Amino acid sequence: MREMIIGELTQALHELARGFAHYLPRLIVMLILAFVGWVIAYVVKVVLRSILGLIKFDKLSENAGASQLLNKAALPPATEMASRFVFWVTWLGFVLLGVSVLGILGLQEQIARFFLFLPRLFVAMFIMFFGLLAASFFSRAALLAAVNASVPSPRVLSMAVRSIIIVFVLSIVFEELGLAEETMLVAFGIAFGALMLGLAIAFGIGGRDLARRFLERKFVREKKEENEDELSPL
Amino acid sequence: MDDGTFLTDDFLRQLINVGEVDILVGLPTHNNAKTIGSIVHAIQSGILHAFPRERAVIINADGGSRDGTPELVTGISIDDARPASNLNALRTLHSISTKYASSPEGGVALRTILAAAELLRAKACVVMSPDSTGIDSERLSTLLRPIYRDGFDLVTPIYRRHKFEGLLMTNLLYPMIRALYGVRIRESYTPEFAFSGRLGSQFLGQNGWSDGTGGTGVELRFTLAAITGGYRICQSFVGEKEHVERRAADLVPTLRQTVGVLFSALEADFPVWSSITGSQPVPTSGSDQEVLLEPMRVNRKRLREMFSTGVAELESVFQSILSPSTLAELQRIARLGEEDFQYSAELWVRTVYEFAASYQKSVINRDHIVQALAPLFRGRVCTFLNENRNASAHDVENNIEALCLEFERLKPDLLRMWKSRE
Amino acid sequence: MPLNRDALWYKDAIIYQVHVRTFHDSNGDGIGDFQGLEQKLDYLQELGITALWLMPFFPSPLRDDGYDIADYYSVHPSYGSLEDFRKLLDSSHERGIRVIIEMVSNHTSDQHPWFQEARSSPDNPRRDWYVWSDTDSKYKGTRIIFLDTETSNWAWDPTSKAYYWHRFFSHQPDLNYDNPAVRDEMWNVMKFWLEMGVDAFRLDAVPYLVEREGTNCENLPETHQVLKELRRKLDEQFPGRMLLAEANQWPADLRPYFGDGDEFHMAFHFPLMPRMFMGLKLEDRKPITEILQQTPEIPASCQWSLFLRNHDELTLEMVTDMERDYMYDMYAESKKMRLNLGIRRRLAPLLSNDRRRIELMNGMLMSLPGTPIIYYGDEIGMGDNISLGDRNGVRTPMQWTGGWNSGFSAADPERLYAPLIQSPVYGYPAVNVFSQRESEHSLLHWMQRIIAVRRSTGVFGSGSIEFLYPANHRILAYLRRLGKETALVVNNLSSTAQAVELDLRRYKGNILIEMFGNNIFPRVGDLPYLLTMGPYQFYWFRLRRV
Repeated sequence: MREMIIGELTQALHELARGFAHYLPRLIVMLILAFVGWVIAYVVKVVLRSILGLIKFDKLSENAGASQLLNKAALPPATEMASRFVFWVTWLGFVLLGVSVLGILGLQEQIARFFLFLPRLFVAMFIMFFGLLAASFFSRAALLAAVNASVPSPRVLSMAVRSIIIVFVLSIVFEELGLAEETMLVAFGIAFGALMLGLAIAFGIGGRDLARRFLERKFVREKKEENEDELSPL
Repeated sequence: MDDGTFLTDDFLRQLINVGEVDILVGLPTHNNAKTIGSIVHAIQSGILHAFPRERAVIINADGGSRDGTPELVTGISIDDARPASNLNALRTLHSISTKYASSPEGGVALRTILAAAELLRAKACVVMSPDSTGIDSERLSTLLRPIYRDGFDLVTPIYRRHKFEGLLMTNLLYPMIRALYGVRIRESYTPEFAFSGRLGSQFLGQNGWSDGTGGTGVELRFTLAAITGGYRICQSFVGEKEHVERRAADLVPTLRQTVGVLFSALEADFPVWSSITGSQPVPTSGSDQEVLLEPMRVNRKRLREMFSTGVAELESVFQSILSPSTLAELQRIARLGEEDFQYSAELWVRTVYEFAASYQKSVINRDHIVQALAPLFRGRVCTFLNENRNASAHDVENNIEALCLEFERLKPDLLRMWKSRE
Repeated sequence: MPLNRDALWYKDAIIYQVHVRTFHDSNGDGIGDFQGLEQKLDYLQELGITALWLMPFFPSPLRDDGYDIADYYSVHPSYGSLEDFRKLLDSSHERGIRVIIEMVSNHTSDQHPWFQEARSSPDNPRRDWYVWSDTDSKYKGTRIIFLDTETSNWAWDPTSKAYYWHRFFSHQPDLNYDNPAVRDEMWNVMKFWLEMGVDAFRLDAVPYLVEREGTNCENLPETHQVLKELRRKLDEQFPGRMLLAEANQWPADLRPYFGDGDEFHMAFHFPLMPRMFMGLKLEDRKPITEILQQTPEIPASCQWSLFLRNHDELTLEMVTDMERDYMYDMYAESKKMRLNLGIRRRLAPLLSNDRRRIELMNGMLMSLPGTPIIYYGDEIGMGDNISLGDRNGVRTPMQWTGGWNSGFSAADPERLYAPLIQSPVYGYPAVNVFSQRESEHSLLHWMQRIIAVRRSTGVFGSGSIEFLYPANHRILAYLRRLGKETALVVNNLSSTAQAVELDLRRYKGNILIEMFGNNIFPRVGDLPYLLTMGPYQFYWFRLRRV
């Protein structure tokens, strides 16, 4: 009986060792890949940081309003965030590549899906970023125009513009990521439609006079107020 | 010279027929049939009266008029093919027209006129405005004589205005250009000005015709080019400025064409203005005319409200542009009542300089920076109106002079801001 | 070469104006004479002229260069005898050259026996031959012509204690044409010369013949009556002879002098001449075309007479004040050059001796509608001497050679009637007929050439004129048409090269033949005809449809 146990143990050990010896090269390869991946990721991070520094990415993200968001979340500045993110993604990619070398079934499929997902992730982030930028730009433009045209509640208008654009951008991002696409589209549609309807009602009823004045100014030469002289700036 | 390619063949042919000239009158137009008749007659009699022996031409750069404006301009040419019995003219006077675009663009019109002036080797040129409803034949010779006879390169007009007209000029452009560029040119952005062929050629050859600002505010860039190029500049009193009204609602486009252009020029001209201190007067000809003083009813309350609203609503924008102390000060005066409201000269100068520095750094979109200045300008206008409500012409002039000195005094601050964020 | 018997000979004539005194001296007394002139007829024939206009050669105290006549039936002894003149006439006719003489009909010299008689007493039969008055206030407002010397049109005669009327110098009393005796006698005078063989008269100062109170005493209907009467008699008794009017008036005012073809045959186109000079300086054809646009149509048998310069000052009477100031500033910077509202300079000095400009002006002279008159010496580019008084600066001796007295006279130089031009540029050693004959490209040869081309066609003398108005105002272009013949003349008035496009669509299909070289130029098509021209260049083209 003792010999059987020892024999089984020995066999098990042998199998383990065999298995180990079978997998060891792959493990080593995986470790090597991980290490190389770390190096490459680090290099990419440094390069990316320099590039982003050159194009003043921090400034852009500040314009986009992303910096403010990061600040509030006590996160590091945008360039740093972007570089680190790219670092992690790159390294993760190499690690996963190494894991796939191990040949564990099922996992490979998931890994492949991950790599397929990556481009869409980048596109979505890209859209998000520039969407935020556009939202910031247009909302500010609306704010300035409203202030200079003496439109009441200019900040409300500016926020409305920003919201609309952000909602729109988010819906595209979700669609790109493939997350609850249809739901998002419908939700966006409803929100947008409601917003527009609300604005129309408000504009039409509440802003009747304003609308009229606005249109008059656009299409008809404005008559001077009876008691006022017009000053020309030049 | 590559600007020959944007002149049409037909126009080039007309230029060949005109040949070399001594005097060139440029007239940009767009649907000005109502006013152009008297203007071209005034130009014609101005030439016949003051320059009867000189070879002259009128170049009409038209931006796609549909009301027959070009025909009205070319109709006053004096030539033997159409004998006009009442004219006592020694020479042929060509009046030719070209359509430079189907919609008006100020920069392209001027470029066309400059190109024609260069091809015709004109010695003295003048650009007239099709909106000048009160022009007389004297105005032409007042502007041209210093160029043609006295060797100046640029003549800007000084209009006889009401003390409350042209406040953008008196409260910003004039003092700022004076402080930075060291030249006291009263009106640097005018629809009418005269220049020498030399200056015109140099300006034509400069880049920047196809940059972002395109042709907007090109008149101001012209003046600045004359200053930085060391050209001889003088001013002439020309009488009242009777122009088709520019509505106060056009403030933002006006700011773009003037302040926006000035701010963007500061960058390129930095080597020039950074080393200048003080300012020099510019020779002035013609008889000095006092400002008009008749009472004007202006809605100062509205101006102040627009200022206050602007300060409040644009806080997030101003935070990117202004220093915290300046913004705080603006917010303080925005809360003041009508009697106490005062946008002091010093605060205004600080405001303008911080805007200029922010523009240079592009802290936010540059056009937004210019737009953001509008409500603040209105506040300044309100203060100016208050301060000069009962002022005599002399007092108004003194107040403007004080503002200019303030601009000059605070110039080192601008330089500091300019260099610091680099 | 016999005389061309055509009744309208004057329309194709080339007239040469000369003063007998200035041309050639045959007897060594320092003054040119008829025989001397006769000796030079070959030169004139070679030049190509077809008519000789002689300035007054009548007996005269010479206080107005012969325009103050003391005897209408004789010749001044300095120039020879009546017989000499006859021989000159015949010799000219043999060479096909007609002779035009002066008839100073408005006034005589105060030395004339008629005036001597008239002034002697108020009852003298000749008293009424002149215009007398007890006061000098009649005919007020009449302009004074010789502004530099006269202050009034009336002169006081101490002998007869009365005022007499004179539109010119005070020593030239006006004849009274209200007196039929005067009119008859003037016809007799003319008849005398016509019978001798003279072909034409230049009637001097015709606008002023008759005076009437309340008028400006110029161009009056009564004057025209007198002239028509003269013409009628001329046509009756001497067909084929010609009357040329000297009337310094606006074209519209000149028109009546042609009548309906029953008054003068020819008249000088005075207003055109200063405008040619003006157009050249301005480099703008406007002054030239405008005056010709204002020139009225004249009867088919009549003709304008064109000239660049003559014995008088370049008159600026018929221009505006602005134009006169311009002409003074451009052509007569020195005040010495100015006289009587005009400029007393010759053609070459006026054009700064610029050969191209001289050619261009002569080209216009020969191609504009009218009969051209060449002032003696201008065919070789003679200069002037402004230090000689009055208008004598342009009446110096003809320069024949570079030798003794320039071949003008064998006399001592001090005896010459006027000094020769001595300047290094215009002096006779530099400018003379002999050396220009030797030089192939001299102005003289060029003048011969252009006269020959002009004479080769009748289109310039008798043809109509139509201006083209190319957009380039420096180019003066016109079409001359006579019957089927069409000539195109293009002149560049500018000192710089020019390009011009001419609208010749009506002549599509015509080939242009340049008339001096007879070379063919491109055919006229649908597009504007492009010509490029050098400074002051001109073209004469014949349009030919093959």
